[in-house]
Amino acid sequence: MLDDSRPLFVQIAEQIENDILDGTYPEETAVPSTNELAAFLRINPATAGKGLNRLVDSGILYKRRGIGMFVATGATRQLKESRQTSFAAEYVAPLVHEAAKLGISTKDLIALITKEAQS
Amino acid sequence: MTAISTRDLAKTYKDVRAVDGVTIDLEPGRIYGLLGRNGAGKTTLMQLLTGQIFATKGAMTVFGENPVENAEILAQTCFIQESQKYPDTFRARDVLTVAASVYPNWDDSFAGRLVDDFRLPTKRLIKKLSRGQLSAIGIIIGLASRAPLTFFDEPYLGLDAVARQIFYDRLLSDFAEYPRTVVLSTHHIDEAANLLEHVVVLDEGRVLLDSDTEELRGHAIQISGRAADVDAFVANREVIAQERMGGLASATLIANEGDQDAAQRADLSVSPVSLQNLIVHLTTDAQRSTVTA
Amino acid sequence: MRIRPVVNLHTANRFTVIGQPLMIMSFSFAVILVVGIIANSVTSSASDLTDMYQGMRWNGAIFALLGPLMGFGIAAMTQYFPLATGLGLTRREFARGTALVFLGLAAIFTVVVTIGKVIEEATTGWGLHIRFFDVFYTGVGPAWQTLIQTFLVISAFMFVGAAATTMVNRWGQFSLWILLALFMLAGLCAVMGAILNDEFAAWLFSLLSMGWVPWMGVVLAIGIIGAVAWAILVRRAQAR
Repeated sequence: MLDDSRPLFVQIAEQIENDILDGTYPEETAVPSTNELAAFLRINPATAGKGLNRLVDSGILYKRRGIGMFVATGATRQLKESRQTSFAAEYVAPLVHEAAKLGISTKDLIALITKEAQS
Repeated sequence: MTAISTRDLAKTYKDVRAVDGVTIDLEPGRIYGLLGRNGAGKTTLMQLLTGQIFATKGAMTVFGENPVENAEILAQTCFIQESQKYPDTFRARDVLTVAASVYPNWDDSFAGRLVDDFRLPTKRLIKKLSRGQLSAIGIIIGLASRAPLTFFDEPYLGLDAVARQIFYDRLLSDFAEYPRTVVLSTHHIDEAANLLEHVVVLDEGRVLLDSDTEELRGHAIQISGRAADVDAFVANREVIAQERMGGLASATLIANEGDQDAAQRADLSVSPVSLQNLIVHLTTDAQRSTVTA
Repeated sequence: MRIRPVVNLHTANRFTVIGQPLMIMSFSFAVILVVGIIANSVTSSASDLTDMYQGMRWNGAIFALLGPLMGFGIAAMTQYFPLATGLGLTRREFARGTALVFLGLAAIFTVVVTIGKVIEEATTGWGLHIRFFDVFYTGVGPAWQTLIQTFLVISAFMFVGAAATTMVNRWGQFSLWILLALFMLAGLCAVMGAILNDEFAAWLFSLLSMGWVPWMGVVLAIGIIGAVAWAILVRRAQAR
């Protein structure tokens, strides 16, 4: 779940984003507290807090004093938009690079993608 | 105010510089890792900070004051060292009784739950306990004392994976409820890495690394591929380890912004380096060099 | 000043502190009783028994109790001191609390010895003409003397034991050997002096019979020297 390649708080933020995208935490519902997250993932609470605050800063979560953190209205749409922006760099570019290495032409690549999407 | 602050702290035994000019500042309310190989000076540093031994030179403060013979400060620290000696006639429950009377924040029912968690036989003589059970005593005292500054020195020698996991869980949940400064010295770096907010790595009595754990994550990368490509890539980069196998080579290096992508573009495979491996590389004799994180 | 935790540290296991020395003492006392019973069955001559009663003034069976108590002074430094510092107690706190425990234990065992002595005297050696408590080392005078003497001897034992052990902590075993060698040298010098000089020999001999009060002064002085030396040495003792 967590790996060594990137800072943990980034990975934690991404994981919560994924959970929001797949509907685990619908909008206007609470996400786990810092300490719950820390205990569940067995990580330092400060790191867990940093991950949550990253999402607060980007407007995905908001704080309700004394209660906890909640998924903001419109968070799903906002996440999808930003994920779409980075989609090309994160998924398409490596795909094209690998295809070129294997001698797959762009046309064949498109055909492969079409086939995969239809199956 | 810092929880711990040292300036050029040193402890010399006859011909050994156990601690050799250590300068660190540790903030309160955090979990620190004190890492390094055996004999790196970890225990000596903790003994100095708890006034168990006297410094040869340098200065230190704990919660703003010199801890040596300072009852007010020492009442706020707990340090059951890995090689702690207990009176021959003591049973585990005798130590717990004494600890309960020493520490102002001692939680007796928490101690009781921990005794159950670790299945510690409290009525058996301590000298008849196994290494793991001995470690459990230290852990129980360290946690139940709720001392504002708690040192865990190799707290889980002899403990199995389950017991170690219990330790991590109890530490995290109690830390969340009663925040305090924790200094954890351990060899199980990979296991403990996610718990540590900041690490100090000692090597031969000196500070080799003093950095936030998050900054170290992704701090180094391992690249591998054709020897020529690897050689070309590592030129002008800070290499901490290198290996060669026929025409193939791998290198561990301090990663700068964009290095990962650059390596991939150069057809090298890139893999992350765990905190444990990073420290192993940094403290291996042949590769020793001070790095700035 | 956290004195109570230090006292708790020493007394957490009551059996070791009180029970164990008493057990060893009882065992030693039983041996003396058996010796007495055998002696009484072998002879019924009143003069023989009186001789035995007199001769046993010098028997050291009581050291079965005094010895472990000296060991307590040593253990305080080798076994309890590291745990005390480990638990964040200061050396000053440890020294004060431990001194209190030394004196408390000395008082308890002094009472035990004195009670034994009073009974022993009243029953002319438990009806067997034997001695265990009422001996030279604890005082063969009135009971109040035994009270003072035993207390001083036990305390001195503990403090000297603690001081010697702390010396080893500070400077290694070698320092203890040197100190012992110095004492032996002094003793040897005294013997040599006595052999070469009759007047000196006579003076030395007079010391032996200098009376109870001066002797108690000597024991007190040894105890105080031990206590002061320990108090000074322990301030710079380190965990090992």
